[in-house]
Amino acid sequence: MRRGQDQRRSTKMAVKTDDIILRIAEIMINELKLEDVTPKTFDPDIDLVDEVGIDSMDLATVALVLRDEYAVRIDEDDYPKLTTVRLIGEYIEKKLAA
Amino acid sequence: MDSTPTWKFSDLIADAEVKARWEKVRQYFFLRESTYDMTRRCNIRCNGCYYYEGDKQHTRDNTRADDWRQLMQAEKARGITFVVLAGAEPSLVPDLCQVCFDEIQLGCIATNGLERIPDSVGYRLHISVWGDDETSRKTRHAGRMLVRQLENYAGDPRAVFVYTFTRHNIDQAETVVRTLADHGGRVTFNMFSAPVGYQGGLRHTPHSLAETRRTMVDLLQRYPQTVLFSRYSAMAHTHEKGLHDLFRCPYPRQNPSTDVGLGRSFRQYRTDLTWDRAAACCVPDTDCADCRHYAAASAVVTARLFRHAVEPDIFRSWLDFVDTYLAVWVQGYKKGKNLCDRWIAPPGEELAAN
Repeated sequence: MRRGQDQRRSTKMAVKTDDIILRIAEIMINELKLEDVTPKTFDPDIDLVDEVGIDSMDLATVALVLRDEYAVRIDEDDYPKLTTVRLIGEYIEKKLAA
Repeated sequence: MDSTPTWKFSDLIADAEVKARWEKVRQYFFLRESTYDMTRRCNIRCNGCYYYEGDKQHTRDNTRADDWRQLMQAEKARGITFVVLAGAEPSLVPDLCQVCFDEIQLGCIATNGLERIPDSVGYRLHISVWGDDETSRKTRHAGRMLVRQLENYAGDPRAVFVYTFTRHNIDQAETVVRTLADHGGRVTFNMFSAPVGYQGGLRHTPHSLAETRRTMVDLLQRYPQTVLFSRYSAMAHTHEKGLHDLFRCPYPRQNPSTDVGLGRSFRQYRTDLTWDRAAACCVPDTDCADCRHYAAASAVVTARLFRHAVEPDIFRSWLDFVDTYLAVWVQGYKKGKNLCDRWIAPPGEELAAN
């Protein structure tokens, strides 16, 4: 029973995280005018700084849109750690759960 | 859950004028700067000069154009899009300035303006002014500075004069700005920021900071076509707290992170084309506790977008600041009308004392 509940919770969390990741990818694409990529084809593990060429001002812009969307604040000190869409998604998930 | 700000970002940019300014300035978020000392030589010797402090003055000059070209190509390859050519006096090596411009077309040269830089070097030119000609003679040991600078650069669209306020030249700014206005020039403001260990008399006091702030805004209002500045620029530069204490400086000297932003990409090259992360900032050897330098502020305040996007007038003030910085630094960028005409304190701080 407990195990089943955990599994359901885990599945729900996974879906939710996936939804957040998709939405973050969509925001990235729209705000930073990224070309040749869709939210579904955006690799959530690609390094945003090294491989996409995103810089601190881009991250600050995305953080503002995410703040509107999820009512969470991304601390300036945390930007450097958020180098992939997945890490941003997990960060937001954690903030929402806190 | 975190406490949410009073205003959503989408509401802040719902105003058409604010939205237009936001879209205008964000087009330049791609700028990634580094700075380059071009030569150890200078044709004057100013009291309190940053270049002749610390170790950087003891390097050798690399005068080989091919080496500079390779450096610029490497810089471009690692993502640098904006170069600042400085110390000691870049106009003495115009061929090297040309090489830099040929490789990276966005940039700025800090010069004393006594030697004309060829038109083919299409960078913004910052021409330093430290008071009227009598004061310049005393502190820079050079006569007729403004006259000679105007002979070289009056009417030059590249030129922005940079008036550095010290404790002792506040009352001379009006004369200088009027002279520049008469010649169709543009001017922005800088604050003397003491080099490490500086014991001279140019360092600001609380009284001189307040007096400078009043003078800056007075000149901004009286010479709006000439002065590139904003009320928030005046507040940020003349607050009793320095820039690092107000905004936390993101340059490598004060920022250990190498993950993103200036901590990752900024380098300050010496004349031998070496660089040292521990010394890297826009004005090396400045005492960080006293730093109110305009070059530092341009990056330091701009980088703190997030904390300014909380309330309409605070965000408008930030936009005014960034619009000013781009007009000062980027050739061809046209400054818009300031959006906020009231005093705004830096986020989390009190207004500077009067």
